[in-house]
Amino acid sequence: MLKSMIYKEWLKIRWFLIGAAVAGLLVIAYMYMNTQRSITFGGASSVWYNIMFLNRMFYKILKYIPLLIGLGIGVAQYFPETVNKRIKLTFHLPILENKALLMMLGFGTASLLATYLLHFVVFWLLSSSYFGYEITNAALITITPWFLAGLAAYFFVALIVLEPIWMYRIFYSFAAIAFVPLYLNSGMAGAYAPINIQLVLLTLLISVSMLFSAYRFRKGEM
Amino acid sequence: MNNVIECNNLTHYYGTKLVYENLNIHVKEGSILGLLGKNGAGKTTTINILNGFLQPRSGECLIYGENTQKLTPHTKGRIGFLIEGHIQYAFMDIHQIEKFYSGFYPNWNNKPYWDLMSKLKVTPSQKISTMSCGQRSQVALGLILAQDPDLLILDDFSMGLDPGYRRLFIDYLRAYAKSENKTIFTTSHIISDMERLIDDVLIMDYNRVLAQCPVKEFMQDFKQFNFTLDKDNIDLSKEKFVSNIEKVKNDVELYTYESEDFVKKFLDDNGVETKNFKKVKMNLEDAFIGLTGKY
Repeated sequence: MLKSMIYKEWLKIRWFLIGAAVAGLLVIAYMYMNTQRSITFGGASSVWYNIMFLNRMFYKILKYIPLLIGLGIGVAQYFPETVNKRIKLTFHLPILENKALLMMLGFGTASLLATYLLHFVVFWLLSSSYFGYEITNAALITITPWFLAGLAAYFFVALIVLEPIWMYRIFYSFAAIAFVPLYLNSGMAGAYAPINIQLVLLTLLISVSMLFSAYRFRKGEM
Repeated sequence: MNNVIECNNLTHYYGTKLVYENLNIHVKEGSILGLLGKNGAGKTTTINILNGFLQPRSGECLIYGENTQKLTPHTKGRIGFLIEGHIQYAFMDIHQIEKFYSGFYPNWNNKPYWDLMSKLKVTPSQKISTMSCGQRSQVALGLILAQDPDLLILDDFSMGLDPGYRRLFIDYLRAYAKSENKTIFTTSHIISDMERLIDDVLIMDYNRVLAQCPVKEFMQDFKQFNFTLDKDNIDLSKEKFVSNIEKVKNDVELYTYESEDFVKKFLDDNGVETKNFKKVKMNLEDAFIGLTGKY
């Protein structure tokens, strides 16, 4: 059953997922090509000075990429379930409804994490090849909440798309618009270091909120 | 014979609008029950309650003895469900969807599915979203047959189908159900289709059940008499034996469960002069309209 559920979810998101993974890698490649260009034409000391003393984030272009990927995968995965109320097909499968939903959510989250991990590791390797530990470490701390923002956006999309009542959808959308920027606030490198763990916990808290929307759908709220 | 479906004192409202009150439905094992009703009479509401997609205000529905609000995976595996409009995962092709469902049902038998697919003029990689409604109906039916459920719940299976596909669907379904002792609960707004398919009929009007019996019994007992009144100011609609009456000027269509002799005697005893009195042969659609009214 798990294999079949994974197969269905894969069919829905595969092209977006592959496209997003490639697009993310291209952005990271572009970012380091830019860095290389700055080193070649401006000199390494100038790049180092900009990062250390002027707080220039050479990776700023990456900021909204995980968010967009999270939103996109959420829409690609959950929107087809709500067209013509197709989620009824999933609820009718011989499996507990919440288990089916958690399988969907688990697969989406795992796909998202795999993509983010790929981007994170490539970013880390390239950063380590150009910069010292302190700069790379601060960069990784800075981009971590950006990836968490993508995960939070994904969970919010699941909550909103599966919600049967439009008024609630609008309310949840406002909540998401207020909540997600918490991950993207600071322009200072490494500023989120003290609260990254708390943000992970916060993200975990909203991860299963879609079960509530699905429960309301099953009870016939309209 | 055991009841596969049992709905007891089912009451439901949408907001303050009553859909029905104290509705009781019983479907015996191996029978095919057709739920008929006008638009908005509560057919899809009933299907949604049966599938656990809607919680009734009060009362309960049991399938194989389990409350439909809490069906176990095992019981859900015994139910084949066709959603109104033959909804399926439209992003899949016919191979992908067969592969997907086969992982859930231990008795999965893909032969009837591929038999039906071979009749369709679709390419193996054609997405279901690009198929016609008729083709999609065959995909949905094929999947149900491959699942080999004990109970089939079909919500308006005839929607969007041309006459050929409807006939194919019905003939395939009835032959399958009767040979395998399957139970079917179905709705359709094309009544002529139902006549060919069902054993028992349940006719719903707004807020109430008008008839629930074997379809043969209903067709035998429910009658239509046409006649012309001498005077147009006679109102028979309030009489107890009259189920429904349609009157255009002096021409009357009277629907009743009473016999021809009873109606004639009533008219004579009450001094109602008529001409051209005749009993009219009805099919199920005529009887349905006769019972529920044209409006």
